[in-house]
Amino acid sequence: MKILAIDTSCDETAVAITHNTKVVSNKIWSQAVLHASFGGVMPSLAQRQHQERIDYIVNRAMLNAKCQMLNIDAIAVTIGPGLGIALGVGINKAKELAIKYKLPLIPVNHVEGHLLSSFVNSKFPMLGLVLSGGTTMLCLVKNIGDYEILAETSDDALGEALDKAARLLGLGYPGGAILEKIARLGDPNKYKLPLPLRNDKIKNRFSYSGLKTALVRLFSTIKDPSKQDIYDLAASFQSTAFDHIIRVLEYHCSQKVTSLLFGGGVANNILLKSKLRKLLKKYNIKLHVPYTKKLNGDNAGMIGVTAYLKIKNQKLKLEDFYNYESVDRNPRLELGY
Amino acid sequence: MKKISKFDNKEIIKVLEAGGLVVFPCETVYGVAVDSSNCMVVEKLNKYKQRPLGKPYAIMCSGQKMAEEYVSLNKTAFNLYKRFLPGPVTVVSKGKGKVPKGIESETGTLGVRIPDYPDLLKLIKEFGRPIVATSANASYQRRPYKISDILENISEKQKKLIDLMIDAGELPHNEPSTVIDTTLDDETVILRQGEIKLKGKNEVLSRSDENTQNTAKELWQKYQDFAGKRAIIFCLEGEMGVGKTVFVKGLARAMGIRQQITSPTYDLLSCFQSTVDGQQLAHIDTWRMIDPNSELDDLNIKKLITDRSIIAIEWADKAIEEIRKYLSDAIIIWVKIRYGKNLSDRLISWGNL
Repeated sequence: MKILAIDTSCDETAVAITHNTKVVSNKIWSQAVLHASFGGVMPSLAQRQHQERIDYIVNRAMLNAKCQMLNIDAIAVTIGPGLGIALGVGINKAKELAIKYKLPLIPVNHVEGHLLSSFVNSKFPMLGLVLSGGTTMLCLVKNIGDYEILAETSDDALGEALDKAARLLGLGYPGGAILEKIARLGDPNKYKLPLPLRNDKIKNRFSYSGLKTALVRLFSTIKDPSKQDIYDLAASFQSTAFDHIIRVLEYHCSQKVTSLLFGGGVANNILLKSKLRKLLKKYNIKLHVPYTKKLNGDNAGMIGVTAYLKIKNQKLKLEDFYNYESVDRNPRLELGY
Repeated sequence: MKKISKFDNKEIIKVLEAGGLVVFPCETVYGVAVDSSNCMVVEKLNKYKQRPLGKPYAIMCSGQKMAEEYVSLNKTAFNLYKRFLPGPVTVVSKGKGKVPKGIESETGTLGVRIPDYPDLLKLIKEFGRPIVATSANASYQRRPYKISDILENISEKQKKLIDLMIDAGELPHNEPSTVIDTTLDDETVILRQGEIKLKGKNEVLSRSDENTQNTAKELWQKYQDFAGKRAIIFCLEGEMGVGKTVFVKGLARAMGIRQQITSPTYDLLSCFQSTVDGQQLAHIDTWRMIDPNSELDDLNIKKLITDRSIIAIEWADKAIEEIRKYLSDAIIIWVKIRYGKNLSDRLISWGNL
């Protein structure tokens, strides 16, 4: 099944063409084009002007996949969670295309997209972990479309906390990636930061606002911080933030689960992946991450693949997806709906 | 192509001044450099790197003084220079338009690097102006740690573009430089703005998150009578981690909203509905916005106000100009939260604009 997928949930304008679980082309508009020579970090100038970019990106994705609308079997679009006005642009474009070419229109949950971007055919139930700028969520994947949330953040998302720490340490924004690089040069045990929710007996939530506050207060006590101080602070913060994930995850590890699906922008972080592997080895659980970095951040490839997996696994009929009116944005969409 | 094994500055400068392309070692990888004052050489560099027009390059300077002739540094950039340069960090700032076309980005920003490599610093100093530098591999090829890494991966045509190579043997395998863009930081804007003065100022000391939430509840009760008649905007100002979201959690609870309130930093705007009277709470965060004043407008704050919503804006001080426009249409309560003496102490003050 060939799907044209659109995601405009927040910053990125993204369009992809997927063929079953294969991502044929995956186009994202970002300033990356301008700043690729700078090694990956880009400013987000005018990043939210989806309207002006959506047609261009649709065309690029089609061109890149060497494919025409005639060959497309369905349109998939992100309906939430995200920023309402941004979601609206993608949904309108998807409807316009669906009507014009008489194609079924499949609504997709953005977080489910991140979750299934590392999907492998393995035994259910699996664990699912999505860590990004806007999401911090651990769930039990009983089947595709059947999820039980085990823990979610009660304040800040992990990716957001890393970006904020980076900016506080003077590393600019977005700084999560730089923080990781710089943390490698630091001593994670130099500063003691409080492990969030240490006293939770039932580990059913994450929290990063307390850790963020602790860093602000610690940083304000260091007079004229040196390079090494910044390295050490970055390392200590990152390490504590990840230990929190590990602690909560370990509480939910059990013998019946053999796989963990991991997605979202923070899945780029090498230290976190190695911490996860170390923990999961104890429980004989295999870690699955998307095969390319591009599927970690916001993209539409994951939306196309998710739409296909849902249709296939839940034995849904494409004929039932012609009720375009019913496809509407839902900025606070929860997983499993 | 000529090969030398030491920094012979006289010879290198001669080549650069003649519009030549020089391959050189530094603390990261082998780079290629051209003169930053020659309009013609950017094209040569593009040809060598085989990359399209429009992609910017970074310049290498001998120190901050030289850099400041080419870019304007804001506070973030100053701090970065102080802490990390010379070193493997490229700091992007607003350019002054003093380099030939094609070096700065299309938006007028320019990356500056001060290499942590004494021979190279000496060369740039003697040269008296920056060099335009980039890694010596063609785009998308492997990182060049030795001369053969370069030569084995480029075409004969590309080889002919190189005028001089400085071969320092195999370099330690360090990562390429990290790029930090400082142009998004608007601290300078805030600094200019000065402190926001409030009328009828009140202040309480909060000793815990719970206290802060209760203060929010009391403030809500004070203004609740206006709900449904006018829009009410709670503007939150305060340092990172001080508890702005905590305040909104208290406000939401007082309004009868049962959903979990999380930070709206990423999504920019989250809306909630009260289960008691259907009142809408719009929770906005400007922290991540590039131009908070115009982006608030993009989020359609006008409609939220005509709908008489309850609006909570974190980092409201960044968008004060836009917020001031609604002084006559909405009730605006400005809330400042500051760190207190003890770890969990917060000073909360509020008043009207």
